[in-house]
Amino acid sequence: MYGWTGNILRINLTDRTHKVEHFDEEFAKKWVGGRGFALKILWDELKPGIDPLGPENKLIVTVGPIAGIPAPNTGKTVVAAKSPLTGGYADGNLGTRVTEQMRKAGYDLIIIEGKSAQPVYLYIEDDKIQYLPADEIWGKGTYDTHDWLYKKYGKGAGVLSIGQGGENMNLYSMVRSLEGRAGGRPGIGAVMGSKKLKAIVIKGSKPIPVADPEGMRKLGLEDLRKVGEIDKKTGWSIQGTTGVLAWCNEVAALPVHNMRKTHHPDAWKIDGERLNNARVATYGCPNCTMRCGITILDHEGHESELDYENIGMLGSNLDIFELDQVASLNYLCDDYGLDTISAGAVLAFYADAIEQGAIKGDFKFGDAEMAKKLLGMAARREGEVGNLLADGTLRMARKIGHNSEAYAMQVKGLEISAYNCKFIPGMALAFGTSPIGAHHKESWVITFELKQTARDSYGPEKAAKVIELQRIRGGLFEFIVACRFPWIELGWELEHYVEYFNKTTGLNWTLNDFWKVADRIYALMKFFWVREFPFWDRTRDYPPMIWFDPKNADTDGPIAGKYLELDKYNQLLDYYYQQRGWDKRGIPTRKTAEALDLKKEADQVEKFTKLE
Amino acid sequence: MSGSNIKITVKLIGPFINQLGFSEKTMEFPAGATVDTVLSSLPLDPKRPKIITRNGQAVTTGEKLGDGDRLAISPLYSGG
Repeated sequence: MYGWTGNILRINLTDRTHKVEHFDEEFAKKWVGGRGFALKILWDELKPGIDPLGPENKLIVTVGPIAGIPAPNTGKTVVAAKSPLTGGYADGNLGTRVTEQMRKAGYDLIIIEGKSAQPVYLYIEDDKIQYLPADEIWGKGTYDTHDWLYKKYGKGAGVLSIGQGGENMNLYSMVRSLEGRAGGRPGIGAVMGSKKLKAIVIKGSKPIPVADPEGMRKLGLEDLRKVGEIDKKTGWSIQGTTGVLAWCNEVAALPVHNMRKTHHPDAWKIDGERLNNARVATYGCPNCTMRCGITILDHEGHESELDYENIGMLGSNLDIFELDQVASLNYLCDDYGLDTISAGAVLAFYADAIEQGAIKGDFKFGDAEMAKKLLGMAARREGEVGNLLADGTLRMARKIGHNSEAYAMQVKGLEISAYNCKFIPGMALAFGTSPIGAHHKESWVITFELKQTARDSYGPEKAAKVIELQRIRGGLFEFIVACRFPWIELGWELEHYVEYFNKTTGLNWTLNDFWKVADRIYALMKFFWVREFPFWDRTRDYPPMIWFDPKNADTDGPIAGKYLELDKYNQLLDYYYQQRGWDKRGIPTRKTAEALDLKKEADQVEKFTKLE
Repeated sequence: MSGSNIKITVKLIGPFINQLGFSEKTMEFPAGATVDTVLSSLPLDPKRPKIITRNGQAVTTGEKLGDGDRLAISPLYSGG
């Protein structure tokens, strides 16, 4: 078998034991890697209803067959677990040297079970596994933690760590790597913290099994160069993702004031142009020649690396239009190991609830200094307010009451990314059907909606586009594991990834083979949710109710007076379910499951709910 | 406004700003000018996919523009 090492490293933190297990080619071809591997392991090994923050939950670290080899944007690793934030399946990917080092250490999958009695970090070097005391780094932020580990193991090591957010089980804490970024929005950092696992350090020295090593090496290096050249020619990295901010402001899709507004006259103060002008450094993940990270100095003088989501959620959504202050909030989230998207949504929801009179408090939109204090309280779970803010918007709304759930901007418990869909039906569907809760990484259909179709259409073409993008973004890029940016931003065709896959594995797949895997994964992710929530119905695929409220419609700008219509959204959901072969509850039918080779899984889910 | 010209505010997004050397500019065009008229006046790569909106709404390249319209020209993105 080429492409995969076939090795699973299973670590138990309770008794500090480990063993190496193996998977066969059938497993590899059925689930490919990354999200596919993580999902299948969690489905097979987790009992439904377990406490996500208990020792029964499992933390998965995994890569795909092209991960870590020199080729465009292959530096990504997937982290996954049952989510403490949503109660459903959760994963995320992040750029990190762990990707390459894990492959070189000889593993495609690491399964971390149990719970350490004391704070610990893992050191993995090929076959050597050490459980080391984390006393000196427990309580520290991700920057200090990484620095401490790099001093000990050198800059070439791959490191994943949590900050105070994960240690204190803030439910939107993430796993971070200073060699890339952060991943695992739905509280994967909290799962790591619940196991008292502060960090994972990996070094490897073995060859990655590639069917055509010389051909792949030559192709990968050449393509890295080409992608870099296209990036230079098109200038994409000048603003990176932050170019989106000015565009969202133009088309009334910017999150402003807890997404109650869609555009703002001061948005230009925090846009990509201003960010590029303030740039002090450029940042990128391993194996990347289109480095999109723009680092500026924050209000306190720290270097803070920003992208669009950070600025949208910690800036405009909080009515904060001072770039250095947005950078400060971003720096704190990175250091505490908090998801910037959820953190921005939580603070905005808190300010909104106070403004609506649903709860008493002294935080107002636009107050950057108080926002900084609140982030620290949320990361450390300090006091009643810190604990309230640490649990995410859905739990906050259920505690606060007064119908505040309507403006808790989340789906399935995960906060919506920085695209305000007050009147963007297809993107609302993309958030609604995102399989880990609202996340833009699965399907980003806005440009299609505003370029090729009528914005107010709820037609089947939008459902079809959401599915097409989910197959590519939530499927292909999440299981071969690579960054999607070269594809749309630089026009780097998907066929390149097929070629990398085939040269690595020695197989002869086409894109259609990948789509079947993607559909299988999406069906099993839905089964995972249904197994956890057996009385599943379509309302769990709804965006927040405020987007359907005529009183919430913009009073000026491009979508003045417009709002989403619930009956039409339901029709759009029907189109989506029909095209996927799912029933009206949003659950894959038995026929669909069996066509995707999920008969055994369908039998298992039928112990919880009847399939159509 | 001179003669029967119309004024269009052109807002560029992302790298187009660096390529053309301005971020936002009000420009004059003859009455009856279309989106294409504006595009052909700008040294942008015609082959590069773009999203173009007029006053925040999708627009086709053949559509006629009105005085005071705001035209935003953006490259494709796949999200943040």
